[in-house]
Amino acid sequence: MKLLDIISGVSLFRLKRAVILGVKSLWMHKLRSMLTAMGIVFGVCSVIAMLAIGEGASYEAQQQIKDLGSQNVILESVKPTNNTTAGEQERSLILEYGLTYHDILQMQATVPGIEITVPSREVKDFLWNRTNSVDGVVLGTVSWYPTMKNRDVVRGRFFTKLEMASSAPVCVLTESLARQLFPLEEPIGLTVRMRTSYFRVIGVIEDDPAVAASAEGMESSSQSSGEGMEMMVPMSTLKDHFGDVLFKYRSGSFEAIKVELHEVTVRIEDPDQVKPAALAIQHILERNHKDVDYKMTVPLDLLQRAERTKQIFNIVLGSIAAISLLVGGIGIMNIMLATVTERTREIGIRRALGAKKKDIVTQFLIETVMLSGAGGLLGVALGIAIPVVITHFAGMKTVIEFWAPAMAFSISVMTGVLFGIYPAFRAADMNPVEALRHE
Amino acid sequence: MSRRPDTEPVIELRGVEKHYTMGEFTVKALQKVNLKIYPGDYISILGPSGGGKSTMLNILGCLDQPTIGEYFLSGTDVSHLSDDDLSKVRGKELGFIFQSYNLIQQLTVVENIEVPLYYQGVSEKESREIAIELATKVGLGKRLDHRPTELSGGQQQRVAIARALSCDPAVILADEATGNLDSKSGGDILQIFDELNAEGKTLIMITHDEAMADRTPRVIRLKDGEVAFDTYDEPN
Repeated sequence: MKLLDIISGVSLFRLKRAVILGVKSLWMHKLRSMLTAMGIVFGVCSVIAMLAIGEGASYEAQQQIKDLGSQNVILESVKPTNNTTAGEQERSLILEYGLTYHDILQMQATVPGIEITVPSREVKDFLWNRTNSVDGVVLGTVSWYPTMKNRDVVRGRFFTKLEMASSAPVCVLTESLARQLFPLEEPIGLTVRMRTSYFRVIGVIEDDPAVAASAEGMESSSQSSGEGMEMMVPMSTLKDHFGDVLFKYRSGSFEAIKVELHEVTVRIEDPDQVKPAALAIQHILERNHKDVDYKMTVPLDLLQRAERTKQIFNIVLGSIAAISLLVGGIGIMNIMLATVTERTREIGIRRALGAKKKDIVTQFLIETVMLSGAGGLLGVALGIAIPVVITHFAGMKTVIEFWAPAMAFSISVMTGVLFGIYPAFRAADMNPVEALRHE
Repeated sequence: MSRRPDTEPVIELRGVEKHYTMGEFTVKALQKVNLKIYPGDYISILGPSGGGKSTMLNILGCLDQPTIGEYFLSGTDVSHLSDDDLSKVRGKELGFIFQSYNLIQQLTVVENIEVPLYYQGVSEKESREIAIELATKVGLGKRLDHRPTELSGGQQQRVAIARALSCDPAVILADEATGNLDSKSGGDILQIFDELNAEGKTLIMITHDEAMADRTPRVIRLKDGEVAFDTYDEPN
């Protein structure tokens, strides 16, 4: 007796009757049926919920990396930790480190396919609007900064090449800085002061997505630390007003730092050449800088690493799903075996009244599939509800892929079939005489 | 005493034996049974415990197959049929009535009566009509939607009779049908059997109740697995 013969031999009418009978039989033992289905419910529900949470987390991570630009290589100046050179420089009173214009020129000359570079330099101090002040950063950069960084100018405009060439005292504020500095007014056309220099506001740019994301959870603290409080001015304007050497006054002492460029973003034209170009840039920097006073970030690397992490996560998840459904399936099989023993008499009666083996197999298989199917449906409902609740109350992003509930449900039904086959065949193979005699 | 009819038998056993192997021993539950049962027969099969009554019922009911010999049911040799074909024969040609009623607990009266019809592939509408008609015939027309647990023993046995009649079988087999009932209910059931036989149904009752011998025209006594007495074999 093959399973296929059984499936093909069942007409629609008989299937309907068998389903009605299955519902009645399961309904006779409501609690038992419910508990049996629970195994599948939690299996399916946890799979969908975990998948949604994992997908949401990796989506956020990937989005942040993508915001950095997958064709970009980001270089940042970092204060060196090497003691010997630090000692030497202390004698000259000025701490000099970081990326230089020389690095950029060398990159442009030797690395092929470099599209543009966005050098930027920052000065940290208080920014003033009359009596209102914010601990912020002045960023000296180039006019193509918004395009390279994928950041939109929300109001007004960014400064032009002409303004760069003429060292115009203009500035663009980030949204959060504009909100802090000008809580009640439209900032465009007004002035911001830093130390003794005044800058005219010409535009407002959206916040750095990475900063905006991390700030969401802890709104108050990020504002006080000055993170994201950026004011952008032309590179040349910054140099004119604040010079090359930055002085920092601390309680009882002062520090002089000379950093030519704080950050350089290099865009590589051909997406396939990002890795070799990054390698070439690294070689140039290694030759030019004895100390590691720079940090190189390749978003593409991060993206690939994130994808790899996601793959591992999916494998782990798949295993958990398989195990939980296996446990659910074993639960179903256990109960169905008990049910078969309990209903031995009924099986005997049915056989005496003309039921063929395949009728008995169909009957029990339908019951297991209904158990697992109902469990699967409930699991899908719960599995969709849980991520929605998490997103609503914990503010975590969750993504339910359309195939996840469908897959989980079909696997649950398949579990029912798989673990129902043995009990069903055991029921059908009973000797009618012995089954009838069973007490 | 009744006389053997001149028609073709509905059941014919030719040299049927049933052996059970228990470890090293072989028990012969039935030996050299030759038997002809004719349409319209009303038979009691009597005998002591271990006399072979149950084995006889299993063989006649196509629930088991003889070790040796042939069994013809409505002219067909059923002693070598496949399991599926045997199921078909059981459902179509035979009606069973058991001592403990053997109704399916999760089904209502009318649904229980429909079970054999379902396995014969009778349509839903038709089987419902037949079931209602039979339930009414056995006096349960007002209890169609009751479950077996809501019925008395006598009522349950009447449902079982209706179920046995549903496919209009050639032979009805009753195994100690009144064994679990009080004398009043048992009498009612036997009354129904009498009526069914009067309508021309073939009834075989397997019992250890000697009183039954007076009720049925034909009596078969089994002893040690052999037919020790058959009314038809006796000289008039």
